[in-house]
Amino acid sequence: MKKHYIILVGLVLLGIVYPQMFPGYLSVAITLLLYAGWATAWDILGGWAGQVSLGHASFVGLGAYFVAVGTAHHDIAPWWSILMALVAAAMLAYLWGSLTFKLKGPYFTLSTIAIAEILRLIAINEGWLTGGATGVFIMTLPEPFGLDLFSRQVNYYLALAFAAFTVLIVMLISRSKFGYQLRAVREDEDSAMASGINPTTVKLKAFMISGALTALGGGIYAIFLSFIEPHTIFYLLLSVQIALTAIIGGRGTIWGPCVGALLIVGSGEIFRTMFAEANMLIYGLLIMVVVMFLPRGIVGEPARYLLRRAYAKRAQG
Amino acid sequence: MFDYVSFMQNLSNGVLIGGVYALIGVGLTLVFGVMKTINFAHGDFVILGMYCAVLLNTLFGWDPYLSLLVAMPLGFLTGAILQRVVLSRLVEAPPESSLLVTLGLSLVIGNILLLTFGAEPKSVNVSYASSTVSLGEVRFSLILLLAGLATMVVIAGLYAVLNHTELGRAIRATADNRLGAELVGTNTRRIEAVVFGIGMALAVTAGVVLIPLLFATPTFSGAIFTLKAFVVTVLGGLGNIGAAIAGGLLLGVVEVMGASYLTSDYRNAYGLLVFLLVLLLRPEGLFGKTVKRV
Amino acid sequence: MPSALKADGITVTFGGVVAVDNVSLDVEQGKILGLIGPNGAGKTTLFNALTGFVTPQGGRIHLHGEEITHLPPYMRTRAGMGRTFQTERPFEELTLLENVLVAAFLKEPKRKHAERLAMEVLEKVGLADRHDQPALDLNLARRRRLELAKALAVQPSVLFLDEVMAGLNPPALKEMIGFVRRLADQNLTIVMVEHIMEAIIELSDHVIVMANGSVITEGLPRDVIQDPRVIAVYLGED
Repeated sequence: MKKHYIILVGLVLLGIVYPQMFPGYLSVAITLLLYAGWATAWDILGGWAGQVSLGHASFVGLGAYFVAVGTAHHDIAPWWSILMALVAAAMLAYLWGSLTFKLKGPYFTLSTIAIAEILRLIAINEGWLTGGATGVFIMTLPEPFGLDLFSRQVNYYLALAFAAFTVLIVMLISRSKFGYQLRAVREDEDSAMASGINPTTVKLKAFMISGALTALGGGIYAIFLSFIEPHTIFYLLLSVQIALTAIIGGRGTIWGPCVGALLIVGSGEIFRTMFAEANMLIYGLLIMVVVMFLPRGIVGEPARYLLRRAYAKRAQG
Repeated sequence: MFDYVSFMQNLSNGVLIGGVYALIGVGLTLVFGVMKTINFAHGDFVILGMYCAVLLNTLFGWDPYLSLLVAMPLGFLTGAILQRVVLSRLVEAPPESSLLVTLGLSLVIGNILLLTFGAEPKSVNVSYASSTVSLGEVRFSLILLLAGLATMVVIAGLYAVLNHTELGRAIRATADNRLGAELVGTNTRRIEAVVFGIGMALAVTAGVVLIPLLFATPTFSGAIFTLKAFVVTVLGGLGNIGAAIAGGLLLGVVEVMGASYLTSDYRNAYGLLVFLLVLLLRPEGLFGKTVKRV
Repeated sequence: MPSALKADGITVTFGGVVAVDNVSLDVEQGKILGLIGPNGAGKTTLFNALTGFVTPQGGRIHLHGEEITHLPPYMRTRAGMGRTFQTERPFEELTLLENVLVAAFLKEPKRKHAERLAMEVLEKVGLADRHDQPALDLNLARRRRLELAKALAVQPSVLFLDEVMAGLNPPALKEMIGFVRRLADQNLTIVMVEHIMEAIIELSDHVIVMANGSVITEGLPRDVIQDPRVIAVYLGED
């Protein structure tokens, strides 16, 4: 476990000096960090608790809209609106989970799509609340400590902090009582109940943490884009991207979602000219390959192999 | 004031469009019944059918209904091959695997279409696009009527195959009790490939009959059709063909009625709401028994 | 001795079929109750009704005098029930210690204390030397013992054992019988569903025989197995 913390500290240090080394590649890095954070947050519910959601764009949208509408229409500073978004996201997750957690497996997944689509239609059609289909511009932002929140550099460090914070939360969870409860519920709800665990409570907690963290990234995303529209930010494909990033990397592993983000954003950059707007092709091909040949993901499959081998060695020695 | 004529107009439009939804849903439900697989790419198969008609029309000037002669067998073959090459590998894998792999397939199909045909919507212009048939004061759009008719013919054909042929008997036996079917000598692997082929052929057919009505766009619309297909099948109960037909008609009517009497902004939401309600209120009834390990 | 577990008139029906018909039982603290009967007799359903995994249509269940009839399974665990599952499914990616830890957290929320408890339980079932082994690749006898360790780690006062002897080879069976004996000697109350007669006869203080959802006879193990009705039921099965 200690090694994970060392890796995290090392990566954060690397992340801090990155803008000095590659000042021209900040936007890509921001996208990478946001996806790493979202996928990690998604994985708390989708991987650790085993409830595959295809509706997480709703939480991105919620966070983004609180920040954008907050500054553009109500003159609320983004740090306050992000706090409100976290609370709202946790509440949404609670309601959403209470309604749908009795559905199992693929049926839960289908229900998340349906709810997310309904939320998207609300965001498009309820203009009084969201600014409607045309979207919201963020024209001005406050300057805390003289920082220009519109600058790429500041956006980058916000995204870095978001990704690192999310990974840290997952690390803490993975070794805690709650982390073991999550895994127990994922593996076998009956067996978990026999251990005194209430599966619904555990799943609700996971959904609330996952949703709130996703909304946090959504708020940073809104500042980064400085223009948001419901069609893209509540989009099913965004939900799909977040989920597939985590699944390709490896569900229920600490680094899987980050590796997934690196792989996908990286290959997206490399093939950008070849595929232009058909960038989802990479997701499609990767997920097919992963499900067919590496069902535990790119990190999960070797991790399992190493675990096995390490013990075999110890047992012999 | 209640306008009887426009009500009948809406009802008949709803039923006709619902027929096409039923056709899409029947394919999905048939595949689910036999393979217990939720096919996420089903809507993209519909889009493939639309582009097939577009392509044959631009190349040879074929009428969409003529292109069915090519699209249906092609859809069947592609489906059977996809099942053999991709899905048959997942028999032992957890239930989400097939959902994820077909989700991947959906992305691949949509984006290949995008690369091939570009992002702008495509359609086929037919000479009879604005023709109508009148029955009393209610007027039916000819293309909608043809779509409804084609749907009925195809579903009747499917019904005949399932109930009156050896193949149909084997399909029903496999859906009912896979092990039992194997014991009496049914090659269930072959049946699965055939069923996935039929499912794809039905989706492609729906796409072809829809092309005079709707524009084909490569990426997002596939997901919309997949969702509609889920709604249709869940309304009736996955795996049940008769119920899928009823579900399709219901969805068509709910959508058209909701759009004209409530607000068209939420046209796509009505079906989803009904879908959610059914999922939540009758989850076990609709998806069979929940299996307890203890 | 006070009653640890008491059930009155338990009735379970599945869509019109009566699986358990008006069954009552009473187990004293520190005693072993054996539940036997041919396949389909309803003993597993009764077992699941007692542990809360099946909702009975009628009857009441008391644990140490407290009514628990309407509590969900996890609340019954918190009230002092522990159970094993017939088909054990350990968390494969976790080590044996972590597997038991999940259950140990119930009474010991602090990780350090929970780990100590889990280790103690692993020692009891004889898996301590393998505590850092991942649970995948575990053989049947050890999976059984791990399943037992999970049930013990919630520190139950009444332990439900669902066919823990099935499929064990003779030495492993002997070991398991001795182990269950020691548990009862430590004043743990045990309810066991079992097909292995040897284990039932050697362990049970009281045996209930079920057939077609009802109790056909009950009493001391020696008496029960000589009961002509019991013999008839078992012969009828073959």
